[in-house]
Amino acid sequence: MIELRGVSKVVMSGDQPLTILHPLNFTIASGDCVAIVGPSGSGKSTLLGLLAGLDAPTAGTIAIDGVDITRLSEDELARLRGEKIGFVFQSFHLVPSLTALENILVPMEIAGRRDAAARGKQLLAEVGLADRGHHYPSQLSGGEQQRVAIARALANDPPIILADEPTGNLDSQTGRVILDLLIGVHKTRRSTLILVTHDRELADMTDYRLTLRDGRAVEPAVEVAR
Amino acid sequence: MSFVLRMALREIRSSWRRLLFFFVCIAIGVGSIVALRSVIQSVRGALARESRSLMAADLLITSNRPFTQAVNDAVAREERAGRVTGRADAVEVSTMVRPVDPAKPGARMVELRAVQAPFPFYGTLTLSQGTYSHALVENRGALVRPELLAQLNLSVGDSIQIGSEPFEIRGVIASEPGRRLGAFSLGSRVIIDYADLASTGLLAFGSRSNMQMMLRVPGPQLEELETDLRAGLANEFAGVRSYRRSEDQIGENLTRAENYLSLVGLVVLILGGIGVSSVTRVFVQQKIRSIAILKCVGATSARVLAIYMGQILLLGLAGSMLGVVMAGAVLAAVPSFVGDLTAMFQVDYGLTAPAVVQGLGVGVLVSVLFSVVPLLEVRLVKPSLLLRQDIPPAAKFDWLKWSVTGSVAAALVGIAAWQAGSLRVGLWLSAGFVATAFVLQVAGAILVRAVQPLRYSRSFALRQAVLHIARPGNQTRVILLAVGLGTFFILGVRSLQVNLLRDFSVQAGENAPDMFLIDIQSDQRDALAAFVASETGKPAPKLMPVLRARVTGVEGQQVELESYEQVRGRGGLGREFTVTYRSELEANESIISGAWWAPTPTAGEAEVSIEEGFLERLRLQVGDRMRFDVLGRVITARVTSIRRVDWQDFRSGGFMFVFRPGAFDGAPQTFISTLQAPASPEARARLQAGVAARFPNVSVIDLREILQTIQGVVRNVSTAVTVVGALVLLSGILILVGAVSMTKFRRVYEAAILKTLGASGRLIATMLVLEYGVLGAIAGTVGALGAIVLSWGVATYALDLPWDPTPSITIVGIVATSLLVAAIGVLASLDVLRNKPLSTLRAE
Repeated sequence: MIELRGVSKVVMSGDQPLTILHPLNFTIASGDCVAIVGPSGSGKSTLLGLLAGLDAPTAGTIAIDGVDITRLSEDELARLRGEKIGFVFQSFHLVPSLTALENILVPMEIAGRRDAAARGKQLLAEVGLADRGHHYPSQLSGGEQQRVAIARALANDPPIILADEPTGNLDSQTGRVILDLLIGVHKTRRSTLILVTHDRELADMTDYRLTLRDGRAVEPAVEVAR
Repeated sequence: MSFVLRMALREIRSSWRRLLFFFVCIAIGVGSIVALRSVIQSVRGALARESRSLMAADLLITSNRPFTQAVNDAVAREERAGRVTGRADAVEVSTMVRPVDPAKPGARMVELRAVQAPFPFYGTLTLSQGTYSHALVENRGALVRPELLAQLNLSVGDSIQIGSEPFEIRGVIASEPGRRLGAFSLGSRVIIDYADLASTGLLAFGSRSNMQMMLRVPGPQLEELETDLRAGLANEFAGVRSYRRSEDQIGENLTRAENYLSLVGLVVLILGGIGVSSVTRVFVQQKIRSIAILKCVGATSARVLAIYMGQILLLGLAGSMLGVVMAGAVLAAVPSFVGDLTAMFQVDYGLTAPAVVQGLGVGVLVSVLFSVVPLLEVRLVKPSLLLRQDIPPAAKFDWLKWSVTGSVAAALVGIAAWQAGSLRVGLWLSAGFVATAFVLQVAGAILVRAVQPLRYSRSFALRQAVLHIARPGNQTRVILLAVGLGTFFILGVRSLQVNLLRDFSVQAGENAPDMFLIDIQSDQRDALAAFVASETGKPAPKLMPVLRARVTGVEGQQVELESYEQVRGRGGLGREFTVTYRSELEANESIISGAWWAPTPTAGEAEVSIEEGFLERLRLQVGDRMRFDVLGRVITARVTSIRRVDWQDFRSGGFMFVFRPGAFDGAPQTFISTLQAPASPEARARLQAGVAARFPNVSVIDLREILQTIQGVVRNVSTAVTVVGALVLLSGILILVGAVSMTKFRRVYEAAILKTLGASGRLIATMLVLEYGVLGAIAGTVGALGAIVLSWGVATYALDLPWDPTPSITIVGIVATSLLVAAIGVLASLDVLRNKPLSTLRAE
């Protein structure tokens, strides 16, 4: 379960404070699939970054399974991410010097898993890239890179998957494949999936939708009518 | 395999090309250290094995005059007491030899050594054929070096004239024990029987001979005996030295040489380290995104740091090992360079374990130390930059970074001290390095500023080039440091060499005498002068009387030295001097204090004129009285004048002591003559052979040959230093290549934008050429200015030479550096010219 209490983010723009997120309160239950939507600059990616502990809020608490992550150090946050959170970026962010397979292996190796190699191959097969493990990111198409990124996010079987506009850099057909993959993962593994998206169609596929405008929640997370 | 190690290897796999120069930098430095240390350790190992045979005895007593009765008595006493169990006398004397066969012209100066049967007590005299026994030289036999056979066109079985007697050549010396290490010799070695020496007439008084008494001493008493004999013979003009002492001394010299030489390697390695540091900094900048990703998927800062540190360690180790391999290759080639040493004893050149361990250790340490500070940036990378480019918060004082920087500096001083074998030298080296770097930086900064007006130039390319040199994140400083230092070394040494060689050629100039005749006896004067005049077709040469004297006491206003023992304690005064007497001042002399004597011979007290150095160093003054021992005869003379001698102009010779005529009437003396010999080698050889045939005791020193030898030595030394300079410059070039390729990603992007805006490939190439050309010109100028100061300082203060600027070297140096840097800069950035703008811009 993820609980946000009074979470806000203020940054300095020049010497003026700029509020990116106004105090937010909401709870996401384990296994939910949530879309964070809103126009550009509304604070969606910032919120997702806060949930992953990639950044710290200016005020408020974020509790994941009862642990307030705002009190954790950088290194404790890194360990938490390795264990509980898989992150998928809009621009993939694979390590360019590693092959596709090695990119998937990294989180498992950090966690010290003994079955890393076998599981890496299995994950590659799951995302449909069984024969491309030895390719470097620069040798893969955008869709393939994003599939590798998803496999990497799944590596340690995290209970929470965060995806920041996962289809934003892809054409619509490829985007569709990626979406189906993400939703499929959420369904088969019962993991919590939180997506930031512009894509109306994608937002409609989730259980809940949180709409942000100018850093405020337009309304509490609403259940998507289906 | 651990995650960290695995990641380090993966990183090396993808970036080894970019880091190639990283380990070449380390390899060159480590290679120099290992090679230099190994050579000296090999020599030392051989020395330790053969130190006794180097002296051929346990204890050696030497003197420049026949041993006094006191010396002979003392040794005889020790023989009776059983402290000395063997004695072999020997004499070394420089003399001329020539073939007895009149059909073979030519004569050579040799270092003759006459030995008694027990020689050598230790070691073996190796002949190129057969084995040595004393019987071989008995009854007028001689052993010679192969070079003499070649020079005089002789072979074994032929006869040579030594002094007044013919000797048969019975063998060729391959190596000889007891040859003094590092002694400057005027000729090659000839060995004869001690018993035959007297008959040659070479020991006639005044000849420059070195008497040696080689003693065998039972082990435990050696040190005690040495101390006793030293004390007992202090006033007998005899030196006493045990093989252990000479071993210790040579050992100390070798240790010092080893440590200083490895500092040269360390300087090269530290330059490599500077390169490593700048590579690492740019490398981390390029890896920021990957670091953020690793942190995003769960890696802690410590782990990421460990990955890159592991990578540096592996590269440092690989570089160091490459250096060891390079050193091994160099060592395999060493014997062909130092053939001379093998004439004395056998040295097996090879890598020595301590040198290899030190090299690897220093290589890895330098790699780590120079990269740890830039690597600390890894800690500051925030994973959130994957979501958006943050404006980094104002940097707080990073206490960790500064304390690590402090520790690194201390560790580097420690390494320098370790390599130099002395904390003081280590501190000086570090301070010198910091000062040099500082001067180069300041000079560089001034020059960079000086070219800034060019940014208003009409040429777009030149404007851009100048802007690039001063732009943020530039590599200007590190390139200036590395290239500037290399230029500094090479130009400094070259200009010093030009000054040295010029000085020698001035001395051997057109109208200067180029041949010396020495050891002329009084009764040979007229015949010799007439012979030389008839051979050269010039007026008879002037003959100067010379005597050999030691100062045995000074009764001065400021100095009081009562015995020879006390005189010996005064630096420089204790040695044997060659003195003369005459009634006139020479053209190269002037009086600075006191008055020159009247041309009439002295009647009462002897008078002496001293060289001004004694006034400066020993505070001797006009009016002081000095006591001299001239081959056993004691003369007290009053100092009546102090002379300044122009030592550059030695046509008239240079003497520290000149006496008023009359002081040595009836004293044994010989004469020397300087003359200008014919220019052609054949005529010179004829003259030398003629003198040797008619006046066997007279030695001919051919100044041209000696100058050629010295010029050869100067060339070799400056070649060696130039090699070091070239290594430094090579490191500089590597740093340049590294700096260029590291910042290339930025260049490629800029070039793409400029191309989009209409710049042609040619314009961009011109910009690059100008940018690196200007940078090279700045580095060259900084180095050349430093070189001028260096060569002037060394020439003026260390070598006491007149110094002239060498503008051609300076100009060629600056232009060559500029061209070199421009060429390398452009070659290393070919991608910038080649890349198509669209693909570059899309990738950004």
